[in-house]
Amino acid sequence: MPAVQDTIDRVRKIDVDQYKYGFQTEIAVDKAPKGLSEDIIRFISAKKDEPSWMLEWRLEAYRRWLTLEEPTWARVNYPKIDFQDIYYYAAPKSTPGPTSLSDVDPEILKVYEKLGIPLKEQEILAGVQKTDASDLEEPSDNVYKSGRVAVDAVFDSVSVVTTFKKELAQAGVIFCSISEAIREHPELVQKYLGSVVPTSDNFYATLNSAVFTDGSFVFVPKGVRCPMELSTYFRMNEKNTGQFERTLIIAEEGAYVSYLEGCTAPQRDENQLHAAVVELVALDDAEIKYSTVQNWYPGDAEGKGGIYNFVTKRGDCRGHRSKISWTQVETGSAITWKYPSCILRGDDSSGEFYSIAVSNGYQQVDSGTKMIHLGKNTSSRIISKGIAAGFSQNTYRGQVSAHRKATNARNFTNCDSLLIGDQCGAHTVPYMEAKNSTAQFEHEATTSKISEDQKFYVMQRGIPEEEAIALIVNGFVKDVIQQLPMEFAVEAQKLIGISLEGSVG
Amino acid sequence: MNMHTQPQRTPAETALIDAFGDRLSLLPGDGAVMLKRDDAIEAIKHGLPTRRVESWHYTDLRRLLNVVPDFDPAAMAKTIAPIVEGSTVLPVLNGKSDAKVPGIEGVAVQRLSEKLIDGTIAPGLDPYGSDDAIGALNTAFVADGYFIDIADGTELEKPIELQNLQAGGQTHVRLPVRVGAGAKAVIVERQAGDGAALVSSVSQLVLGEGAEVTWLIVQEQPDTATHLAQFKAHIGKNAKLTLFVMNAGGKLVRQEVMVKTTGEGADFKLRGINLLAGDTHSDVTMVLDHAVPHTTSTEIIRNVVTGKARGVFQGRINVHQYAQKTNAKMACNTLLLSDDGEFSTKPELEIFADDVVCGHGATVTEIDHDHLFYLMARGVDEKNARGLLVKAFVAEVIEELDDETIVEALEARLDEWFATHG
Repeated sequence: MPAVQDTIDRVRKIDVDQYKYGFQTEIAVDKAPKGLSEDIIRFISAKKDEPSWMLEWRLEAYRRWLTLEEPTWARVNYPKIDFQDIYYYAAPKSTPGPTSLSDVDPEILKVYEKLGIPLKEQEILAGVQKTDASDLEEPSDNVYKSGRVAVDAVFDSVSVVTTFKKELAQAGVIFCSISEAIREHPELVQKYLGSVVPTSDNFYATLNSAVFTDGSFVFVPKGVRCPMELSTYFRMNEKNTGQFERTLIIAEEGAYVSYLEGCTAPQRDENQLHAAVVELVALDDAEIKYSTVQNWYPGDAEGKGGIYNFVTKRGDCRGHRSKISWTQVETGSAITWKYPSCILRGDDSSGEFYSIAVSNGYQQVDSGTKMIHLGKNTSSRIISKGIAAGFSQNTYRGQVSAHRKATNARNFTNCDSLLIGDQCGAHTVPYMEAKNSTAQFEHEATTSKISEDQKFYVMQRGIPEEEAIALIVNGFVKDVIQQLPMEFAVEAQKLIGISLEGSVG
Repeated sequence: MNMHTQPQRTPAETALIDAFGDRLSLLPGDGAVMLKRDDAIEAIKHGLPTRRVESWHYTDLRRLLNVVPDFDPAAMAKTIAPIVEGSTVLPVLNGKSDAKVPGIEGVAVQRLSEKLIDGTIAPGLDPYGSDDAIGALNTAFVADGYFIDIADGTELEKPIELQNLQAGGQTHVRLPVRVGAGAKAVIVERQAGDGAALVSSVSQLVLGEGAEVTWLIVQEQPDTATHLAQFKAHIGKNAKLTLFVMNAGGKLVRQEVMVKTTGEGADFKLRGINLLAGDTHSDVTMVLDHAVPHTTSTEIIRNVVTGKARGVFQGRINVHQYAQKTNAKMACNTLLLSDDGEFSTKPELEIFADDVVCGHGATVTEIDHDHLFYLMARGVDEKNARGLLVKAFVAEVIEELDDETIVEALEARLDEWFATHG
């Protein structure tokens, strides 16, 4: 009962256009001039102290980008983006290269505190074991072995702090910002960067390759099971900036890592662009679990403002018996254009995609996955749940393909949509391509509204309508929520409650 | 005039545009019709659709259509026996309708060339969109066909069989059919021939209130022919349409099915079997619009892919905003029997109404080993066991049709296909 009460209270308190994380923080900022040119790219590269090969790589991507056209195939509508009207670099003014939390601007720490992100305070509240003295100021008595999360906090264009680095290093895990990785581990970055999402991949990925400013880098060496969950928290703060982060995760033979990603942005009338690239590489027997709770500012009730979220995420199951699993909860952004994919190259590799996409107001979501079966005996599983309310459009777009040599490829796809209200739309666009007779693909999709029978059944037991709907919706998305790490599962459930507020009745 | 820049024209595009120039003086039609033809050829001048055009994603017509045969005035196809004995046959031989067609009580049959000359057919000639290459091609070149009007309340005892037969060259045929309120009919659309022809065929059906029609498309073109066909239907209030498509031939085939429910209580059933062999490229694309409340539809497509064949099924169900209480279900099952073959499917749902039940399922697989084992354990050798299972897989769809004579007729066509390709 308390859980149900909690849902109603939350739903009552928060209106559809009251985005909880919509505050803005005044922080001294270092910005590049507006617009995009080779000079800006040189500026970004110089700011980051990058080696010359990196600059060359960026410039090549930029030249390629100039020849590309913006894609229009997705089921989203938005005014044309003026790419010259964006700041491509914005960094909080801070002491160069913060090495510990105490070096970080307290204003920024406050932002993360407000967001409830486990940097310093959160760690202490959670009673986390303190092993890295420089990272924490206050001692903690409670010692928990589990529930620890190492966090990389990215604020606009730069990574401001990464926690638990030392402990991770003891296990051999490298977890740092990508800028740092480019300086400290160039051989790894050079080997893997762009190997999954090449610079020429698509319009936004190419733009990202040219101007990416920060992001996370994870390297888990052979045979290591990463001792804790890794997490990155993205925050867009400055006005008119674009956030272009780049994440690269490599799991060597037999390694395992679970990575979480969260994001928020202030509430503004202008639209802001977020074009990220995430690359995952899993070698033999490695496993990567990547979870996202995306909560960028979705715009107000009239559809004004909000983030354009154009993201390229791809995992490469390069080794035999490797596994990559994507889990995403999409509740934010005015426009989402995102297809976390798996290339199942290694024999016996497997890919998974679990997604909940909730859209309300005037949000537009076009999301899904690609499962490309190349190796033998590969398998993939797609579970997608779309919930559309208000005036929103929610599209699942996915592709499953088995190539000639992908014998015994297996796929199971299930995408269900739930419509709340008669002004919204739910769409399913799956592509299935089989070029091998031993492939076995199954796809099923349904669209419905919450059935009167279900609602009646619940309400008849004395539960009011809004609660009944929340209960049914939570049941609808249960398959995906179960895949999330504990901390995120709770947050995700709350987010779904908030996103749907105002859609009932 | 149009500043749209185009890559260089393919030989097929050039051939079509040249053919239009040559044929123009021979094409029937009044001023309004000729204007529609001009618009249509303009659309072709912009280029045939490529895979970048979403509705042609798996059939890159620009790349695949590489031979356009000339018009062949000497080619003359011959009528064939109807699939159901005793049917009224309306033949279109190499694009020409017959001047003397048998009279059917309650049915008015007119040659389409006459309707083109008097211009009464002009409003129906518009392609449905910029990606409607088949509609544009047909509108540009259509010379004949039949216009059939079944009067209100007429119940036809025997099927009408429309035979569109070719013996090479090009044929462009249109078959508009109006079925009056409460009328009942079985119509067979036969597409066959024996030449390396380019065929475009557009059937347009309008069902009045409470009408019931079973429409069978039996496509058995030779494996050298290009067959581009379109079936469009509007289903009125409480009317029922059962469409059965059997695709069993052709080198490059695209069969489009565009159906719209226009009255409450309308019901649409699509049953399709695609039998693909050799190096055929066969595409069945359906767009179904549930435009009014309280309409229902079910679609079942079964595909058998052998040899180097490439098969495509695209099915989109659009549920319009006010089309509440829609109930739509679609299934597409494929048996992929060869490692050189391929099958791509894209079952889409576009839903703008909330009180609906919609679903689709799609599978691609090979023959179930347990089933095979079951039969082989009973002494059936592997080849026969496979044959039985494959046949059962598609025959299931045929058997669902109510009319026994039709089921038998279609099973005979099925047997013939297995006899030559089994």
